[in-house]
Amino acid sequence: MARNKSSAEATAPRNLRKRELAIDPYDVPDETASPKRQRRSKPPEVVSENHEDEEADGDEIGSISEPTPRKPPGRAPKQAAAKTADVQTSTPSAQRHKTVAETPVKLNGFDTPSRQNIADRSARRKSARALIDRVISDAVSDDDAEEEDIAREIYESSEDEEADQEEQRDGEEGQEPTTPSKAPGRKRKAATARKRSPTPPRDLPPHEQYFYQNKPGLTKTSNNNLSMLDLLTHDEYFSVLRQLKDPHASSIDSLQALHAKSFPQWAFELSQGFSTCLYGYGSKRRLLQNFATYLTSKIPDRNHKIIIINGYVRTLTPRDILSSLSAALPSSSSSKLPIGGSNPTNTLQNLLSHFSSSSSLTITLLINSVDSQPLRKTPIQALLSQLASHPQIRLACTADSPDFPLLWDAGLRAAFNFVFHDCTTFAAFGPAELEVVDDVHELLGRKARRVGGKEGVAFVLRSLPENARSLFRLLVGEVLAASMDSQGGGGPDGDVDVDVASVEYRMVYNKAVEEFICSSEMAFRTLLKEFHDHQIITSHKDSIGTELLSLPFRKEELESILEELTA
Amino acid sequence: MADMEGGTAQFEEDDHRAVYIFNPGDGDGDIQLSARPAKRRKVAKKDASKLQQPRAALSLGSEFTPLFNGLERPAAVELRKHLFETAWPVLEDGIQHVLREANRNTLDEVASFLQQDPGSQTGKIAAAFIITGPNIASQDLLFGQLGSTLCTATQARFVGLRASEAPNLKAALKKIIRDATARVVDDEEDDLELSVGQDGRKYLDYDLEALHVFLRHQHSPRRVIVAFQDSEAFDSGLLADLITLFHSWHDRIQFDVLFGIATSVELLQARLPKSTACRLHGAQFDVVQANSVLESVFKTAVAGSQASLRIGPSLLRSMVERQQHQVAGIQAFISALKYAYMCHFYANPLSVLLDIERCVDRGLLQPEHIEAIRTLDSFKHHTEAAVEARQLNHALSLLEDDEYLITQVLEQKQKQQEYLTRLLRSLHLVTSSGLNSGFFVELYMLALSTGIDLDEKSGAFFLVDGLRRLSPDEFLSLIDRISAAMRTGSPELGLEPWIADVDEFARSLADLRDEVEGLLLRSKNKGTTLKSKYSAQSRVLRTTVVAQKVQLSRDTATLTEEDNAFTAAIDTLAGLLSENLHCDSIDNLFLYEAWVYDCKTPYLDVFVPRPGATFGRSLSRPHDYLACDCCSQAKGSLTSSLPTTSILYHLYLEAGALINVADLWSAYYTLVGDESEIGLDERSALVHFYRGLAELRMMGFVKQSRKKADHIAKLKWL
Repeated sequence: MARNKSSAEATAPRNLRKRELAIDPYDVPDETASPKRQRRSKPPEVVSENHEDEEADGDEIGSISEPTPRKPPGRAPKQAAAKTADVQTSTPSAQRHKTVAETPVKLNGFDTPSRQNIADRSARRKSARALIDRVISDAVSDDDAEEEDIAREIYESSEDEEADQEEQRDGEEGQEPTTPSKAPGRKRKAATARKRSPTPPRDLPPHEQYFYQNKPGLTKTSNNNLSMLDLLTHDEYFSVLRQLKDPHASSIDSLQALHAKSFPQWAFELSQGFSTCLYGYGSKRRLLQNFATYLTSKIPDRNHKIIIINGYVRTLTPRDILSSLSAALPSSSSSKLPIGGSNPTNTLQNLLSHFSSSSSLTITLLINSVDSQPLRKTPIQALLSQLASHPQIRLACTADSPDFPLLWDAGLRAAFNFVFHDCTTFAAFGPAELEVVDDVHELLGRKARRVGGKEGVAFVLRSLPENARSLFRLLVGEVLAASMDSQGGGGPDGDVDVDVASVEYRMVYNKAVEEFICSSEMAFRTLLKEFHDHQIITSHKDSIGTELLSLPFRKEELESILEELTA
Repeated sequence: MADMEGGTAQFEEDDHRAVYIFNPGDGDGDIQLSARPAKRRKVAKKDASKLQQPRAALSLGSEFTPLFNGLERPAAVELRKHLFETAWPVLEDGIQHVLREANRNTLDEVASFLQQDPGSQTGKIAAAFIITGPNIASQDLLFGQLGSTLCTATQARFVGLRASEAPNLKAALKKIIRDATARVVDDEEDDLELSVGQDGRKYLDYDLEALHVFLRHQHSPRRVIVAFQDSEAFDSGLLADLITLFHSWHDRIQFDVLFGIATSVELLQARLPKSTACRLHGAQFDVVQANSVLESVFKTAVAGSQASLRIGPSLLRSMVERQQHQVAGIQAFISALKYAYMCHFYANPLSVLLDIERCVDRGLLQPEHIEAIRTLDSFKHHTEAAVEARQLNHALSLLEDDEYLITQVLEQKQKQQEYLTRLLRSLHLVTSSGLNSGFFVELYMLALSTGIDLDEKSGAFFLVDGLRRLSPDEFLSLIDRISAAMRTGSPELGLEPWIADVDEFARSLADLRDEVEGLLLRSKNKGTTLKSKYSAQSRVLRTTVVAQKVQLSRDTATLTEEDNAFTAAIDTLAGLLSENLHCDSIDNLFLYEAWVYDCKTPYLDVFVPRPGATFGRSLSRPHDYLACDCCSQAKGSLTSSLPTTSILYHLYLEAGALINVADLWSAYYTLVGDESEIGLDERSALVHFYRGLAELRMMGFVKQSRKKADHIAKLKWL
């Protein structure tokens, strides 16, 4: 139900609306029609009246008697409300203020404004809490976005409402200059009733900007999405890339040459027991390679070995590093080494003592991307620091992200004995360092990592037994049906990501049993695991713990997969 | 193509390998590290011929580059290197000595505590709580020293445990057993047979029985000291388990424990269950405070006469401030000091002047050196001063006559020595006089930057007030202290006793002392107390306002003859001191640049990097780095010629907390697409866009957001 409504909302041309125009006139019917909304704010008429107030206010401040064509019943109470206000302006200020703002008296037998206020306030409180919860938990439930919208609207509408009341009253006071001076509380309210300026304040310091941009209600973005754009595949990416030329190539080369002039300095620092860390934007891999070449040319001694560690390789483990180190040892001692030792620290101790015993050996470790994912864990950094603090091992590394100093606490940092150099190269990252297409697709939530979309699925399924194929067909069908449901009559703009359409695990299981795809939950799980392994299915739990299954494909892809499977 | 793909085909293969041994010369077939047997064989051959290589390996690659655009003579380069290699190790030894000495007391106390063996009498585990302070960087050194001291003092095995090495009970026990058994093994065979007992029984590697058998086998005292270096980081459950276990083994193996504590013993106690805590018999030990360690290191390595290079006041100040404001640890200070030495000798061609005799002997000075000397600030000041003083010949010769300049430079060596001796002696006297309460570090930095002038009223060295307030007894002891300081010198600062050099000063001090002693005796005989004009007055000021005037005159009137003489003695001493304790600020010296290093930039850049600012700058103003023509107009604003990531970064800065990728793309495409001056077609632009986005993600600027389709969340507000 909620999804129904939300998609309806999404279809409304709200994307055209700027966030500052408080409430769009076209928006109102949708919202009042939404059952949720009705549930939240008790007397629907009154709420709608409020909305009309705001809406009117959006156009012309204080135009109380603007006709509201759509809601005839709403009209009467509003006039009444206006009347109340009129009546009360003549009463002494203190009382009037109190009654209007807090507890208006019951008049004319209409639903009391007080109850309306209370309902509104509680709705507002709830929505504020919902907003806060959201910000805190950054939850990823399906209809979060929609709920958030609603909550935000309630929150903002009540803010605006206050503003309206204020302005109304101000208008009245303008007419009646004889009223006594305003109560202080009133003034404060008037001050807070500001209109948000459409342009963000300029030149805020970073922390202020953070709070400004994370204010609830400000994260409005347009509803455009990339559906019109044909996303790149790996093949296309590389074929286009091959034809591109970087206009800055010569500048980058000269920058590289500039850094290369520091090689002797770095070598000197390394020889004095410092570790160098090169940071800055751009790939520093080539620089480090050149440095390695420089070092070998400068130190022709065969007892000097250079080991290069590519931190960006996702499968890198401490064991790789240790086994390379022991391979660098002269064979006489390395033969004794239990490299296969289960415990890396164990192996490390052995290694280090062997290094100390063969004193002529020097090793230089060059680490690409020391702040990459596989190297970020503390044990690995501790291992590296232990290596670096050994007098016969030198260490130079590069760091790609601005946050790299967080990798090391004071102890590690002292063990590394780092000196840092700004080595901004602007060089492009190689395909090994940065998997551009995958990364971007992951960023966009298209999780087709290496499966390669429809073709990949077909390939995977061909290698699976018959019942797995039927299960997948069932799954695709269900997900498609679910996504249809969720858009039910949603109009042409139904391009919510199918990613959010998911089906209940339990339901799929029951259907699978019905269709004799599997007989036990065990078998069902085994089949699903196969899909998981190939990353053609994702599962997650929703807020109440129901396990949900979904497919990381777009709707069109799903359709064609289904066609292929049923064919 | 090559420039866009970042690498060249040459490295293509290695790129995807996680770890490999770099081997540039050989072909691809040789790099096969994974084929380990082949590798081993190869290394073995090489190794046989290389075994006799001396330990020179450590200094490999420490070659200095010729300066003066490469014109510097190799011999001069060698000399700079030689100077560095002789200058630093001396200091390093000194520093290590100081650090060892600093912990000496603690070490001795802990050792004697454990030697008394309190545990065996009470049936509890002896526990030493060592308050190390918050700096974990210096703990390693302390525990290393503890290990060696305790091993010799108690004949026990020492095992250091860190929380990261011992995540659970099993791992902790394994580590303990391994370290305890490996320590005293003579040959490696024992190491392998550790898990096999005498009777051929095998033990699991976390079974303390193995340790027990091993110790019995070794006929050594069955005693193991376990040190928890960062006790705060250990899980309290693990600590409790270990202690209980140790206690239960107490009759077979005697365990003692050490705790390195950064906070307080109470906190540790609160974390342990009572049942565990009462199994410990503990004592608390304090480690020397970081400040006093800094001071002694400073005295040895920076101020001491051993230091051939002086660190200038501004660099020194920022180094010391980093010590005080950040928890950087003394190691950071030492590293910074070393780096300053490296910088000076590596990058300053005039550093050869430190050994000017050798320069002149070997004719190392080349025209560039002379020219460099003439561009120095101090040279300029010196000549200008000479001109003002009407020593025109001197100035002219300095400017034109190279030989004359060299003789002048030669003379400077002597002056530099004199200056340093005067500086250190004055500082030593000031601190040992006890009249000035400031820290030595502060005083030294002040003396370098402003010089020492006792008469200057606003300076930190203004001692006269303190002098005048002295009572006769204090006066005498002050003189004693000063002459004692001159008689003994200061081993810390490397000052020899110098009383022989300042005969006159010493004699006048002795005379003063005799005189005041005589005065004291006489006034005692007379039954009055000896006081000076100054102290009498100060007493008057404390009386009531009404009586002030009357009392003041009466007091001065009652000053006896002896009092007046004492007053005169105080004035004489003040005069003597200000005459003898005097030195200029360091940059007043001619050619000080050759032996003073005072450059803050490399220090800050190298040790306190600001990566956020660096990344921000490179992305927002690429022209600063690339110096390309196309982006020179940008000046930090958005133009289409910028690198893709830079454009996206600009757009990113303007965006809110949630970024719509579709909008980002259309903004980018409008900027570089068909209709712009760059004129990329859609697919190429999209490739660029992908790259930029992927790079932003890698640098941690954005992450995936599930709030809306095709949206990403902003992560950085720079």
